[in-house]
Formats: sequence, structure tokens, C-alpha cells
Amino acid sequence: MTRSVLLSTMLLQMKQSFVRPMYRFCLIVSPILNTILLYEMFRNSGSANFASYVILGSGLMSLWSCICFSSAGDIHRERYSGTLALIFAAPAGFPVIILGKILGNTLLSMASLLMSMGTALVVYRAPMRLASPAYFCIALVGMIGSFVVISSVIACLLTLSRRTTLYMNCIEIPFILLCGISFPIEVLPAWLQYVSRCLAPTWAVELLRMAVQGVTDSAGFWRNFGIMSALTMGLALRSTWLYQVIDRAVRRKATLEVC
Amino acid sequence: MQTIIEVKELRREYVTYKGAIHRKKEVVQAVRGIDFTVKRGEIFGLLGQNGAGKTTTIKMLTTLLAPTSGTCKVFGYDTFREEKQIRKRINFIFGGEMGVYRRLSAEDNLRYFANLYRMDVKERERRIKDILELVELTGAADRLAETYSKGMIQRLQIARGLINDPEILFMDEPTVGLDPLGAHMLRDLIRKLRDAGKTVLLTTHYLPEAEELCDRMVILNHGKIVASGTSAEIRGDAESLEDAYIRLIKEDAV
Repeated sequence: MTRSVLLSTMLLQMKQSFVRPMYRFCLIVSPILNTILLYEMFRNSGSANFASYVILGSGLMSLWSCICFSSAGDIHRERYSGTLALIFAAPAGFPVIILGKILGNTLLSMASLLMSMGTALVVYRAPMRLASPAYFCIALVGMIGSFVVISSVIACLLTLSRRTTLYMNCIEIPFILLCGISFPIEVLPAWLQYVSRCLAPTWAVELLRMAVQGVTDSAGFWRNFGIMSALTMGLALRSTWLYQVIDRAVRRKATLEVC
Repeated sequence: MQTIIEVKELRREYVTYKGAIHRKKEVVQAVRGIDFTVKRGEIFGLLGQNGAGKTTTIKMLTTLLAPTSGTCKVFGYDTFREEKQIRKRINFIFGGEMGVYRRLSAEDNLRYFANLYRMDVKERERRIKDILELVELTGAADRLAETYSKGMIQRLQIARGLINDPEILFMDEPTVGLDPLGAHMLRDLIRKLRDAGKTVLLTTHYLPEAEELCDRMVILNHGKIVASGTSAEIRGDAESLEDAYIRLIKEDAV
């Protein structure tokens, strides 16, 4: 039964998201612009890892934007359409419904990765070459898992406030910078790098880059994968406790509906 | 008859803060210690002016809002701490054009909400067919809700509220914005629900409607109950429920 709730929510989400012009912009136009922008920035940098920063970076930036804007924006939209209270009180469970929404968004948003690859190929004749495709697939699954868990927590937290759009905009760019999606985290101040290392997507990005460039140190890959999985699992476990706190707080603060 | 809703000394405050530096706390007392019970199979009315506390009371009963203090029980379960025991057995409809996915058809809306109530596919499809007939939306079942008129959206809301065959249906001003035919259809539907043994708790501004439908009612003013009983008991020697209502509200203001 939970499977059917997840599936129907995913389908509903994909239908609802794709009809929104803003979502289509994030999904189709944004990866093209990100790829062009990052290419021009990296062109004279002397960096050899074009694929891992330009194609992967722009694709992941767009993927995160789609997931972040949709997941956070959905709470806002549900609240304004009067359906947030309905899904909040549904016997299926709010966290399951949120998970379904984020899985739907994530699945659809994967197209942004393809858009980045396509742009690099068509505009710069730079195909994405994967030195270790099997490792890449494993890292991609890890990346999706970490994005999904973080987005679920964010979406649940955003039920606590009516200033959803403000927080949504505040989250997007810092997360891209902190997780080293467009630039290596080594360019960040040392103290911020500690924060970065506490985020599972940072490790997932690292894994994807290793896979694109070719995994020469298999033990290192699996060590990073283990850290990423532990951080993701840790957050997933904490989120079940967090949800109980949020559930009570939402009903005390009366934030399910528009005032 | 069995009591299935029990409200005792129920209070709810809304706290807001104003100002960025010198934050000023403002407390609005929406519900100030109300008591009532609803028995199984009754149509029970919550009447009152705007801001009387009707919607706040319904939200506490439907597990969407925490009471500040007091007892708020449905089927004997606490609406704040034992909400899981309640949610699958109730449903609620808030008036207006909200509460449906406008970019989905009526059928898809109902299918989705049925899934959230974990209904099996056969039962779901049978139920959707029956409910769409009941609210007279069968002919428009595959049209997107965004193409519906206000009245049709409200009927779709009612259909959504019935999808899980609830034992108690909470309706917050369900006839707001409905045309006379739509309102008549809704009143018929509420009577049918009572005949089927369902309990309905509704709020309304429209006093003739309350008089026609409700077995018992309470009148709220500024979060307090100013009268309760059957419409005949509340009317007393007044010519109509409306006259009695106006007198009660004026007396309370003095």
C-alpha cells in the first residue's frame, strides 16, 4: 500500500511539475545556461577535468535547483491551494507523501543532467566520457539518495513556516557551493570545509568525479561511499525523529494554511 | 446514542510576534473554554460570526491544530496525541474553491486521495463512480478541475471528503459560494449521510440552513458558547432562529 501511495504521488508530482513554466525553465533552459557559463569560466583555468566540473557540475546544479525549488515550492503551492492540510492529515502519512513528491521530482529532474551533456556535446563538441561507468552508476545512485533525504528533511521543515519561498531561495546557492558541485570545496575557507564534509552530497560529488576521471583507488572510492552512505542514513534516521517534532510543532504553530 | 465527539474546556490561543528588534507578543484567544458533545448519527451545527472560533474548533477536531488546553476527543481519542486512530475514520471539507488539485481531472483527484486512504483498487474505482454520481459530476469526471465552475469545484471537494466513507464528516461553511441548486443538492446530500448513519459537524452562517439540517447546534461568539440545544430550544419565543441569534449576539456584546 505504501508503494501505491509513493507511485501515485510520484506521478501526480511529475504531472503537476511539468506543466509549470518555471519548472520547465529549471529543467531545460537552466542546464544549458549553466553549462555555457561554467565552460566559459573553466576554459582559461588550465583545469584538465572539463567533464567533471563543467558537464557534471552544471548538470548537478540544475538537478539540485529542480529538486530544491520543486520540493520546497510544493509545500508553498500545497499550502496556497488548500491541499497541504489534506495531505498532512492523510492516513498514508505526510513523510511518505513528501518522499513520493521528491522521488517524482528527482526522476523528472534527471533530465537536466542529460541536457547538460547534450549542450556540451552540441555547443562545445565535448562529449562526456566516463572512465569508470560502473562506479559512476553507483555514485549516481548515492547522489540521488543523498539529495532525496536532504530534500525530504527540508520539505518537512518548511511546513513550519509560511516564508517558504524566502528559505527556498536561501538554500539553493549555498548548498551548491558547500557541496563542491561547481567548484572544488578546497577553494572554501578551512572552517567551511568542515561543514561541507558533514554533508552527504559533498562525498557523492567527490565519488562522481572519481568515476568520471577513472577510479584508480578502489578502496578510496568505497571509503568515500561508506562515509556518504553513513551520513545519508544518519540523516534519514534523524529525520524520523525530526518529523515527530515537526508534526507537533506545525499543529501548535498553525502553519498548515495561509492566514 | 453513543457520544463520538467530546469537547471540554477547550481553548486555543494564537501567538504572534511583531517588530524585528523590540518583539511584541500578541495573543489572540480564538476559543475560550467551550464544552459540547456530538452523538453518533447527528447533524451538529457550529454557528457564529466571523472570528467566533468555528473554524479553529473544526481544525482542532480534525487533528490539524493543537488545543492550547482542554479536552478534544473524537471516538474517545485525543485529537493531538492519538490522531492516527482518528484520521482514517473522518474527513473534512473546507468551504471555497480550495482543497483539490486543479491540474488534475475530478477522477484523478479522487483516485489520488483514495490512495492516500490506502483503499484497494477495486473498492476505489467503485467508490469513485458512486461518489461522482452522488455529486452529479459523472459527465465532467475526466475534465481538469481548473475548467470547473466554483460550484463544481465545491462538489468535487465534497466528493473528496466522502472518498474514505468517513464516519464523521466535518464541513466548514460548505455552502459558501454555491448557487441555490448546488446548496440544495448539498443539503440533500447531508440528509442522505445522516440516513446512512453518518455524523456531520458543520459550520454555517446561513441560519435557515442550520435550522433545516441540524439536530443540535451551538452558537459561538468571540470564542465562547452563548447558546446550545435544538433550533427550537435556541429559538425560544423568538420568531425565527435568526431573530434569536441576533438577540444572543447583541446580549453577549453588552
